[in-house]
Amino acid sequence: MKKKGCGMKNIVFFFLILVLAIQPAAARVQEEFKPEDMTTFMIQVPHGVEGSGLAVGGSNLSAYLFFESYYDGNMNVTMELDLPEGFVLQDTSVHSFSLQTEYEDWYRLIDFYVPADLPPGTYNITATAVVDVKGNKHTIVRRTRLKVASKEEIAEEIAVSGLIVPSDEDGYGDPSHPSSTVVIRETSPALKRLLKVTDLQIDREEFRSTFIGVEVTNKGESTVPVIITYDVLDIKTGEPVKAFKPAIMGMNADTLCYATLTLAPGSSSRVSLPLYISEDAMRGEYLLRVKVKLTGSDWVAVTRDQKITAISRKWGPIIITLVSALLGLTAISFFFSRSKEIMDRFKTRNLVLISLFGTVSFAAINLPMTILWELSHAVLGPFSFLFTGLFYEILLYMLIASLVVLIPTPGVVSLFMMVRFLLGGFITGSFTPITFITLSLSAVILEVMMYAAGITGKNPDPENRFRMGVVCGIADMVSGYASFSVWMVLYRLFYSDWYIMANILIDGFLYTFIGAWFGISLGNRLKKVAE
Amino acid sequence: MIGARSIAEPTIKDTIIHRMDPRAKILVLISTAFVAVTLDNPETMFLLFLIVLSGFALARMPAIKLKTLTLLLVLLIWGTIYSQALFYSQLPRTVIFTIIQPDFPVLGWMTNGGLFVYEEGLQHGAIQGLRSASILSLGLLMCWTTDSRDMLNGLVGLRVPYSVAFMVVTAVRFLPIIITEVVTVVTVQRLRGFNPKRFGSGIIKTALNILTPTLSNCVRRTGTLAVSIQSRAFRANPDRTYLKKLKFSELDKAMVTVCIFAAISIVIIKLLYNMYTSGIYYTSGLRPVYAIARGYL
Repeated sequence: MKKKGCGMKNIVFFFLILVLAIQPAAARVQEEFKPEDMTTFMIQVPHGVEGSGLAVGGSNLSAYLFFESYYDGNMNVTMELDLPEGFVLQDTSVHSFSLQTEYEDWYRLIDFYVPADLPPGTYNITATAVVDVKGNKHTIVRRTRLKVASKEEIAEEIAVSGLIVPSDEDGYGDPSHPSSTVVIRETSPALKRLLKVTDLQIDREEFRSTFIGVEVTNKGESTVPVIITYDVLDIKTGEPVKAFKPAIMGMNADTLCYATLTLAPGSSSRVSLPLYISEDAMRGEYLLRVKVKLTGSDWVAVTRDQKITAISRKWGPIIITLVSALLGLTAISFFFSRSKEIMDRFKTRNLVLISLFGTVSFAAINLPMTILWELSHAVLGPFSFLFTGLFYEILLYMLIASLVVLIPTPGVVSLFMMVRFLLGGFITGSFTPITFITLSLSAVILEVMMYAAGITGKNPDPENRFRMGVVCGIADMVSGYASFSVWMVLYRLFYSDWYIMANILIDGFLYTFIGAWFGISLGNRLKKVAE
Repeated sequence: MIGARSIAEPTIKDTIIHRMDPRAKILVLISTAFVAVTLDNPETMFLLFLIVLSGFALARMPAIKLKTLTLLLVLLIWGTIYSQALFYSQLPRTVIFTIIQPDFPVLGWMTNGGLFVYEEGLQHGAIQGLRSASILSLGLLMCWTTDSRDMLNGLVGLRVPYSVAFMVVTAVRFLPIIITEVVTVVTVQRLRGFNPKRFGSGIIKTALNILTPTLSNCVRRTGTLAVSIQSRAFRANPDRTYLKKLKFSELDKAMVTVCIFAAISIVIIKLLYNMYTSGIYYTSGLRPVYAIARGYL
């Protein structure tokens, strides 16, 4: 029995020894380093390209090396990039680093240059990592290929297969907007003032007009990293138009207007590029040139041109035209609906006098100006207003002011204008929308301002020269500005701001003021005749 | 020499244009004005201009009127060309002549970078000039083929208050008298040593010297005329009768219908197209309409 008990003790002791002996051995098996399983080692040439890449001679490229450890322990790594002969490394080829723990990684972009005169062909690039774990060295090798192709070859492989202007944010066509057309947005002066007052900068969104959708196709067998940019050019000179690449938040628009793509062999990809347009851009026709460059090279591999039309809606003149037309129509409707009451306020004698003044204005202004207006425009060009203003402002306002002195009743100016309009229509055929809008607007403003200034009304005082001059001057400035808006909107004519300003100040105010001033004298003389 | 008479006086004949009802002419003119300001396509604008000009052939206008029309059109179109050549603000634009250099003292600054003649502006002016030319030509055709009394009857027929029509009749009737008076006063001034063409303060002096006697006569005449009119029961009754009754012929009705329908259609189509291009309203069902507007209007 004693012998049997002693045997059991021996067996337990043996197993205990065995367990103690086996445990460290098992631990040693767990910590054994397997380079391929316990690391990730990657090379991309050029950066971003998995598989074989494509480059053109003269490119500055970066090889991307990435190493990550899944080993719970220290390791020292020596990385070496081996470039083919002829490639010019612009960095050191050997890098040493140590990774201390699991999931720690290391990466580096190693710049190199592909000489322009390097013969086309496929080159092998090798990266070797020597991993030292507890004195044991393991070597991991990664290879990739870089195809150096001639420019002609690349130009045949890459194509801009689609170009959509305007597009949505994903680069697809937007049927709700006309194709090849971009809209120049006008920021309202009120908004600009608000932004200035509140010290807010105009947001980048304020500039962006639309997107350009670009589809690029790679017909070759290599993965191609490309950069897509665009220029908006003057269609005649081919010069880039700055208004389409405005500085945004102090940055050059080029820093925002590009997209990068990595095109797998035989694939197509679509990108969208923002098109920023500053509001001082002019409408017209432009050439949109989309450029595709290979990453690392300034050489433009492919371009595609498309004619685009920039249209603008100048809401200021449009609104002024609409308001003026509505005001004119409302005034006419009001007159037609209450014509009897309005006309009954005037004596027959007054109606006759107004019509005779209309005749004189037509004989002294409209009739000679039918030819002189066009003739002075033809000879003096934009400065003809200095001459035509003598008739249309000085003479006209002399007549208006003198008529108001004789009949200081609200409505007298409107009736005078109406007679002029109808007479002009019957005699010279000038039944034009412009004439209607400007004359009706002018009549409404003059009536309202004269009444408000006490020139006409219950206790009229029409003989104050200064007041009459200022009232007529302001009214003519307003109607003159509206008239330019109407010309621009309805007749699609262009006028420079300085010209409009000069016209309004000289013709609209100065000449009118002079005319109204002398009109009071004329009116007073006529009053004596009437008495 | 083209004088005021050739501009102002109608030529009465018996043609299809002359026989048209004045109301029809006014409505056709208004419709055409809408069409003219709506169109943008140069070919269509030119077609409209040719259609208007064909009216002059149908009306068998005398040579003096045609000369006047030609002169006015040439001046009008050239004036538009000239101004647009200077103010053209679209790209591309090619400078063919510099009027004011950008660095010219004061004027360079005032004109915001100089003043140039742009090649594309000449073309734009010529195209846009067609718009005004069509309206002016049709207006003149209407005036030259319609007696002013008929025109005023037409206005009254279109619900223009009689008092206003009367004022215009008075103005028209006195126009030749007042033109003669103005010419007489200018002659008298010249004989007294004034130079009516002198620029500057001379113009104001001349204007005062012309207007004072002319208007004085008008004021004197007003009293007599008013008494004469009132004695003939002017405004005595709310309604009045007319010796000549206006009547639309079948052709008038057809013309007016076609013109108004065309004007309304064109305006609506262009409005929809502009709403589409401005991003205000779009519906795929209107794509044929957008195509018509883009291609032809």
